[in-house]
Amino acid sequence: MALPLPPGLTPSEVAFVCELEMVTVVPRQQLKSHDLLSGPTPALRPPHRAPLPLWLALLLKRQRRANIIPPPWLLPTSLERILRYETETSPSAFSPPPPHPHTVSVLPSATDQMTPPFLPSSTADAPSGHLPYHWLELGEILLEACSDDIPDPDKVRTLLRDLREVRMAKMRASTKELEGGGVVSLRGVGAMEVAEGRQFVVGVMDGLRKLGASRETERRRREEEGGDGDGNSDDDDMEME
Amino acid sequence: MATTTHIRVRGLPAHNPGPTYLSYTPDGTKLVTVGSNNTARVYNEGSDGEPSNLDDCQEQNFAVDATNEFMVAGSEDGTVSKYNFDSMEFDKFLVRTTLPVRDVCISSDGIWCAVASDELVVKIVNTSDQSAVMYLRDQPRPIKHLSFDPSNKYIALSCTNGLVYFYSLKNDEPELVRTVEGLIRTLETDSEFSSKIVWHPDGRAFAAATPTRDIQVMSKGDWENQRAFSGHSGDITTLAWSPNGAMLASAARDGKVILWDTKTQKIIAIYDYPNVMDLAWHPTNNIVSFTNTDGQVFIYHDFVPPTHTQLLRLSVQPAPFIHDPLSEISANAARRPVTNGSKDVPHRGVRQQSHDSLEGVDDILGSVLDDDFVEDDDGAGYALGLNGNGKRPLDDTTTYGSTTKRTYGRWEPRVHESFQPGSTPWRGNRKYLCLNLIGFVWTVDQDTHNTVTVEFYDHEEYRDFHFTDTCLYDKACLNEQGTLFACKAEEKTPAVIFYRPHETWTARTDWRTELPKGEDVTAISLSDSFITVTTSANYVRIYTLFGIPYRVFRQKSTPTISCASWRDYVLTLGNGPVGADGNTKLLYTIQNIKRDEICQSEDLVALPDGETLKSVFFSDDGNPCIYDSTGTLLTLLHWRTPSQAIWTPLLDTKLLSRLASGRKTESYFPVAVADNKFHCIILKGGDQYPYFPRPLLSEFDFEVPLYSPPKPTSDDDEPEIDESKKLEKNFVLGSILATQQQDLIDYTKSTPSQRQNLAKVELDIDKTLLQMLAVECREGEERGMRALEIVALLRDRTGRMIEAAGKVADRYGRGVLAEKIRELGEERLAAMEED
Repeated sequence: MALPLPPGLTPSEVAFVCELEMVTVVPRQQLKSHDLLSGPTPALRPPHRAPLPLWLALLLKRQRRANIIPPPWLLPTSLERILRYETETSPSAFSPPPPHPHTVSVLPSATDQMTPPFLPSSTADAPSGHLPYHWLELGEILLEACSDDIPDPDKVRTLLRDLREVRMAKMRASTKELEGGGVVSLRGVGAMEVAEGRQFVVGVMDGLRKLGASRETERRRREEEGGDGDGNSDDDDMEME
Repeated sequence: MATTTHIRVRGLPAHNPGPTYLSYTPDGTKLVTVGSNNTARVYNEGSDGEPSNLDDCQEQNFAVDATNEFMVAGSEDGTVSKYNFDSMEFDKFLVRTTLPVRDVCISSDGIWCAVASDELVVKIVNTSDQSAVMYLRDQPRPIKHLSFDPSNKYIALSCTNGLVYFYSLKNDEPELVRTVEGLIRTLETDSEFSSKIVWHPDGRAFAAATPTRDIQVMSKGDWENQRAFSGHSGDITTLAWSPNGAMLASAARDGKVILWDTKTQKIIAIYDYPNVMDLAWHPTNNIVSFTNTDGQVFIYHDFVPPTHTQLLRLSVQPAPFIHDPLSEISANAARRPVTNGSKDVPHRGVRQQSHDSLEGVDDILGSVLDDDFVEDDDGAGYALGLNGNGKRPLDDTTTYGSTTKRTYGRWEPRVHESFQPGSTPWRGNRKYLCLNLIGFVWTVDQDTHNTVTVEFYDHEEYRDFHFTDTCLYDKACLNEQGTLFACKAEEKTPAVIFYRPHETWTARTDWRTELPKGEDVTAISLSDSFITVTTSANYVRIYTLFGIPYRVFRQKSTPTISCASWRDYVLTLGNGPVGADGNTKLLYTIQNIKRDEICQSEDLVALPDGETLKSVFFSDDGNPCIYDSTGTLLTLLHWRTPSQAIWTPLLDTKLLSRLASGRKTESYFPVAVADNKFHCIILKGGDQYPYFPRPLLSEFDFEVPLYSPPKPTSDDDEPEIDESKKLEKNFVLGSILATQQQDLIDYTKSTPSQRQNLAKVELDIDKTLLQMLAVECREGEERGMRALEIVALLRDRTGRMIEAAGKVADRYGRGVLAEKIRELGEERLAAMEED
């Protein structure tokens, strides 16, 4: 690698990408439609709800021109349900991501390929009980910027912290599976978790590979002595990157 | 009011010095006292001197309650003992606890005995069968006091953490229904002060001593603070309602026993007796007995001074509400001259004084009447009918006055109540006068005046304002131009209408006008050009925005119910002839005021049997909408053409997919219809009306009730079926919207954007049809007939859509169908050329 930058996105970059997520706002004053690169924003007429990208919603919120409606999955009841799922229902796997909002039918359509942050996974009509891709950063941003719009923000903060710890523990535990070239499903893991876990997991994998390298050379030597076998065990390790 | 000049009542030495408690039997023949020694004393009525004794008691008793047959006493050693009166002997231990018993309470039917101790769990034991026990476990700290409500369906626990826990006992398993914070203070279980919940005999409210040494009344229906009694200068140790609820007696550490008038919350008399611990009214006579910490018992004859003894003879009196929901309804002028003519308490109320479980008081007539009472109360159909008619939150435990509406044996038509769309009834001292998409208007009752606040959603466009309102406005309307208020006619002052525009270029443009004396406002509405007022004299009065009377006419259907307006159109609602279900039919009239045309004359509002209207309003594009008590939103199609109007459902909130799981119970308070969405406030926990803090508005897309919502468990099994259902719903909805848009364009000077909008709606319908066609093609060849039918429904006249339909059929390889579609397209083109 030519650049001294670590691979992947840094947490601040992930947070930046997260600001492209759509959220629902209740405007407090009128605002005409603006033509942005991403398309025109809806005209704001209080108290009609309108979907806006998070960065614009935050801007309006800071100027007290709008209130942000927290996505349904950020409510305490939903988070409690997810936490129960993470700890009791499936103590090893991550809770599943929200279903794709556009029906994936037999015929391929343009919406099939859409991924976060271009899916409306954090608007007011998003499904509850599922953590979307940008859950951690979105939750943190909303708690910081508009805790007055979120019911019971302290509880939400605690629950988010709990969820984060539970899932980080799972992430760390997954390295055990990876030892010796296993595969771990990352279904439902959020962007920030990948960004945070990358350093650790890649480091662990590198370490394991180095440890394995001596064993490997040993085996190769034995194989050379005793005939050939296959030695492709270390290729799956790239799974995490 | 002055300290009384009575002869001082001598305390009877009953027990050793220490906490002493007492209870009357419900028939009033015996007064039972327990205290710190091992004797319980039973004073028989009339014999002022020597009590009978129950000698084999435990020591240090902390609680006692009695029925006509037996009494129970709770002691510090953790036993609750039952004693029979006929044998005057110990019967059995009802229950044992590991820690000292703090309170016992017997339900008024004598079947259940609730026991609070220093343990966290409260036990409710069957008095005849000790093995039948209910446990209340939701409280985190020990309970100090317990009390059954007069109907025995609820129990209130005063916890040592300063919260009150209300459990419902309607089902076998007790259920925590409500926690009330901030009413009582935190007290240790052995404290002498009281945090007991004392139910008013009418069952709709209760009182408790607050940390500020007041006695606060709270209503059970909405859990709001009502009136308060203040005057004690020490912490309150005990309080008790008189058997009919007309008076309240309380004792405090300031050494005073005070008798209060419930209605006015004024002091009737003050007696100086220090250290009073417990106090009880005789169920029938003018006697109040109380105990003090020295183990003495005072039996006070003629406690109520002669000037107020008439209060004792009244039937059950209403609890002191700020705005009594019952009187509020019957006070609506000219509402129900026949059905609800008598405003006094029904004679059945007298019986209900038997249900005073507070001090173990019961009816002299025994339990026979109780059964009778329960039968009536459980008549579910009866209660439902009431609910449909009276628009107040009706709880089947609302004993007081719930039978005022109808008496047996005389049939009377049920009349729909009048209402102001978008407003809520009084709850506590607050009420929303108007809630819509512009903003909201609320008022707070400050006893002598109200304060009205108007807030807007758009803070930039409008400025919030509030003012002190001496006219006591109780109705309001709000729109882009201004705010309209109306107040009730009082005996001396006539009803007033007050209009205040938001913006003005003259110095002062708000105006008010008075209605003729005795005429009351039933509903008001405000549009861009007119103000409409319907009155109790059945007049519809129309003013221009700046107060010029424009038109007055008498409404044909009476009594009037409500009105709504949009630009020059005014919709008035009234009661019509009686229908088959015993309710009057609702009739509406829509007229154009400026052109003086009647669009619909006395046409029916389509409502299911026994249901009523919740709200009526115009949508933002000017179509009349109603929301009924079944939770359905309907709109009127073709209403500009006389006798063509039909009511079409847009949304059935019972079929919303958010309720499909069956776990949620919620209702919706309609606010507006705008942008093809239904704006409402979601009400949870059985609430009927929104309250403070103002909840957020929610919006729902229209969904024509064609199918039940899919069960949430079946995820991906049959997406095709769901998809086609969804498309069908969209098609029907699109047709409704296109019809409305077409009508709008035909009957008004349409703007290009409106015509564009219609074209867009029609294009959407065609797109939906094409998608439906694709689904049918995918399903198979045998669905061809249905597919061709769908093609025939296409609205497009240029032939492009039919061409596209042919392509869809080709794509799925349905050659025959494609051929037929092409034929159809040619026919259509030919027909168009002929035209």
